[in-house]
Amino acid sequence: MMKLEAIIQPSRFESVKDALREIGIEGMTVTEVRGHGRQKGHTEVYRGREYTVDLLPKIKLEMVLPDAVVNTVVETILKTAKTGKIGDGKIFLSRVEEAIRIRNEERGENAL
Amino acid sequence: MPGSPTPLSVLGPQCDDERHRIRRLFETGTSARETLSALCALADRNIQQIFGDVLRVHNAAPQGLCLIALGGYGRRRLFPYSDLDILFLFGGDKAEQESRPLIAEFSRTLWDLGFRVSSAGRTVEECRRIEEDNAEFHLALLDRRFLAGDAELFERLDKKVLPGSEKQARPFLLAQLQKLTNERLARYGNTIYHLEPNVKEAPGGLRDYQAGTWLRRIVDDKKELRGAAAAEEELAANAVDFLSAIRCFLHYSNGRNDNTLTYELQTAASERLLGAENGTGGSRTGDIPRSAAEWMRLYFRHARTLNRQLLRYLEQKAPVPQSLKQRLLSAARGARLDAGKTFAIRDGLLEVLDLPALSDRAVTFSLFAEAARTSTPVSRDAERGIAYILTHPELPAKNKQVTWVALREILGADYPGFALRPMQRLGLLTEILPEFQLIDSLVVRDYYHRYTVDEHSLRTIEHLQELAEPPDSRGTHFTQLWKTAEQRELLVLAMLLHDVGKGMPVENHVAGSLEALEGAAERLHLSPEEKAEVHFLIEHHLDMSATVQRRDIFDAGTISAFAGTVGTQERLQRLCLLTYADIHAVNPEALTPWKAEMLWQLFVATSNHFSRTLDRDRLHASDEKSMLERVRAEAAGASIAELERFLEGFPRRYLAVHSAREIAAHLALYKKLGAEPVQTELTSKRHAFSLTLLTADRPALFATIAGVLAGWGMNIVKADAFANAAGIVLDTFHFVDLHRTLELNPSEIERFRQSLADVVNGKAPLEPLLKGRESASRARPPKVAVPTRISFDDASSDHSTLLEIVAQDRPGLLYEIGSALARLGCNIEVALIDTEGQKAIDVFYLTEQGKKLSSQKQDLLREVLQGTLG
Repeated sequence: MMKLEAIIQPSRFESVKDALREIGIEGMTVTEVRGHGRQKGHTEVYRGREYTVDLLPKIKLEMVLPDAVVNTVVETILKTAKTGKIGDGKIFLSRVEEAIRIRNEERGENAL
Repeated sequence: MPGSPTPLSVLGPQCDDERHRIRRLFETGTSARETLSALCALADRNIQQIFGDVLRVHNAAPQGLCLIALGGYGRRRLFPYSDLDILFLFGGDKAEQESRPLIAEFSRTLWDLGFRVSSAGRTVEECRRIEEDNAEFHLALLDRRFLAGDAELFERLDKKVLPGSEKQARPFLLAQLQKLTNERLARYGNTIYHLEPNVKEAPGGLRDYQAGTWLRRIVDDKKELRGAAAAEEELAANAVDFLSAIRCFLHYSNGRNDNTLTYELQTAASERLLGAENGTGGSRTGDIPRSAAEWMRLYFRHARTLNRQLLRYLEQKAPVPQSLKQRLLSAARGARLDAGKTFAIRDGLLEVLDLPALSDRAVTFSLFAEAARTSTPVSRDAERGIAYILTHPELPAKNKQVTWVALREILGADYPGFALRPMQRLGLLTEILPEFQLIDSLVVRDYYHRYTVDEHSLRTIEHLQELAEPPDSRGTHFTQLWKTAEQRELLVLAMLLHDVGKGMPVENHVAGSLEALEGAAERLHLSPEEKAEVHFLIEHHLDMSATVQRRDIFDAGTISAFAGTVGTQERLQRLCLLTYADIHAVNPEALTPWKAEMLWQLFVATSNHFSRTLDRDRLHASDEKSMLERVRAEAAGASIAELERFLEGFPRRYLAVHSAREIAAHLALYKKLGAEPVQTELTSKRHAFSLTLLTADRPALFATIAGVLAGWGMNIVKADAFANAAGIVLDTFHFVDLHRTLELNPSEIERFRQSLADVVNGKAPLEPLLKGRESASRARPPKVAVPTRISFDDASSDHSTLLEIVAQDRPGLLYEIGSALARLGCNIEVALIDTEGQKAIDVFYLTEQGKKLSSQKQDLLREVLQGTLG
């Protein structure tokens, strides 16, 4: 099992979600986050007051996947979240030791 | 010899059979009231039998121990899966010690028979003491009922101990009950209009009725209910029957003490016509509800009855707390209003002094306008009085046709929600806006929305008015937008109508809402411009939210496209406020700080786009055929060629901020320029004036006009300066007549116009006008210090340099800036002037001999302006 975390542009979220649903991925955790990597923020001035946007709004998706579907999911996210511009985000993958469904204590991939 | 207890093997099946029998009877039409009594009798019988058995087995006497039913069980209203609230009352500590094993066995047996026992144990002495952290126990004790055991002990508690201690604890119990009730109501957002309501705890639920009953008992209100109060009590009894039937149904359907009326159970209850068939829940017209949504309207009507009654009791017993300042203000306001008036402010509430006068709708609406202006709630008593007047056949309504002028007073005030809420409860809102009836108590099943459609719509308005003092950081950015929004009455009207399409048989609710607007606009006699504005806000009410969520708001193309849809800064401001409030009113968590920030970013980027692209978007009149036709229809005798010549080269903003009628009026002025080289038009609107001036461009024109206005003591709050391709300048100044010179002396208006024309034409000098004003106006120190900020932007425009100035506003400021620009040879191509409280925000598009300003000129200008503005 792998844990996938993807930081994407908020404007791409609906498309990514729809594309994942099409390949049978329904379960995910979504968080509204702020941050920056190479895409730095900028300063806007409105009526004499400066508004510095140094942390840009992003969406973080988290899901734990059976090994067999990891590549498909990664490809789907890459294809739908990419605009080609700086700030498109990143995908992180890490190995998961165990998953347990709280309701019935099922374990492993059955719990996903 | 101790007798043997009745075995569980006998009691258990007996109990189950009886429970099944009661359920079957309920499901075949027995009333909730009888069902609850039957369940209570079943519990009573078993408790008495088991208690007797346990005493026998332990060879114990009942002296010094008795069992008391509390709360709902005490009132003989026991729902199928409710807890049995029981108090074990002991004569003293010894009795308590000796009873322990007996009580353990008794409780265990009841559990085994399927009763959920929730018990407490106290000695008589302990009952005398008030437990300050356990008000719920003392409130439950108000409904005490003897069950079994030592009857004399109960008698002592009931007749000798508690009456005295309860009388003494009255203030404490009252305060605690009010606190617990207010906390409970707040937990549910202080509204009955939940899509999936909890029929016990939510506002309008059974708990409301109980809390109201306790309030009356605590204050020992033994007055016989008469007239309206008796009728209200009867309605409340019907409502209790209806809600009790639902709660029974929920318990049986869920198999547990779960009181949430979910979508699925709404459908099931409506199919069974629960509560609607026996007259207790029938609609006013006797109709049988045909759908779950219609059945839910019955639910909300009963919930409204219970909630209204509770709120009235709460208000009577607890006046709204006020600060000293508020009290002084209220007293002053009240004293002013009292004499010969129909209403007055007392203890922070609007009270009616002359009830029959309210049969005149004009008077009623002036009361609501006062509520909306001063953020004063209309008292529940006043509301009840108005309700009585509205339905009293001996007092026929006068002035029932409410005008847009009267309604605008309410919708455009700072706190429209303070009027709209009671107006909705009284049916006055739907009297003037029947379209709102379409969404009355309407449940639209939706994963995100928490409230009925009407409740959502009213909440949007309340979220806006609370921006005056935002309760959390999400609203901080938007406060200033609300305070400075123009035509708020149109924004609020759009909010009332934006979702009424959800109550219409249409596929797209926005189309339905727009259709409803047509009728409302005609009935209220909205001007074409006002209707167009409300139309835009309704049609695009989801656009800003969609742009935030589905577009890259940091992309210039997104901003440009969005700005193209919106058109003007003023409209953007209203749309942004609508979007903020619309998201906020979906549910308490819908507007996350993240979303609020994104919305603000989109607003700022679009706003800056408007101010930085003014001279990029110029009009080519021949491309605007439909607009030309519209203007020509207003301008009798004008030719298309004439119109094209006039409009060619104006910034597009000119079209966006002026109606066809206004453009036609400008054209008429333009045609008269040959006879008189300076044409002016002066209009007034609510203490503010608008001056339009047309003339051929000339050096220092803008500064000269600003100077004349300053010389006459006028405070400029907003201005536009545009020029067309032929060099005709059209300046519009909105100003406040600080000394009411023009208002109090109408003859001065002509002198003012002449003075303006003379100075602009060079026939009279400006300096003498300014001299008299200077010393007086400079003496006043500013209330809020605004630091000066001067910035140049060479990138936004192809032809001009943008100069943006933010500075402390003061009379004559614009004249000083304009003069400095003229002295340094800068030509103003476009100007956009605005104020926000004591802050002046001015944007100028400048050229010098037809080109952008050199960097040296910019430095010099910065230095000069810094010196002038400080």
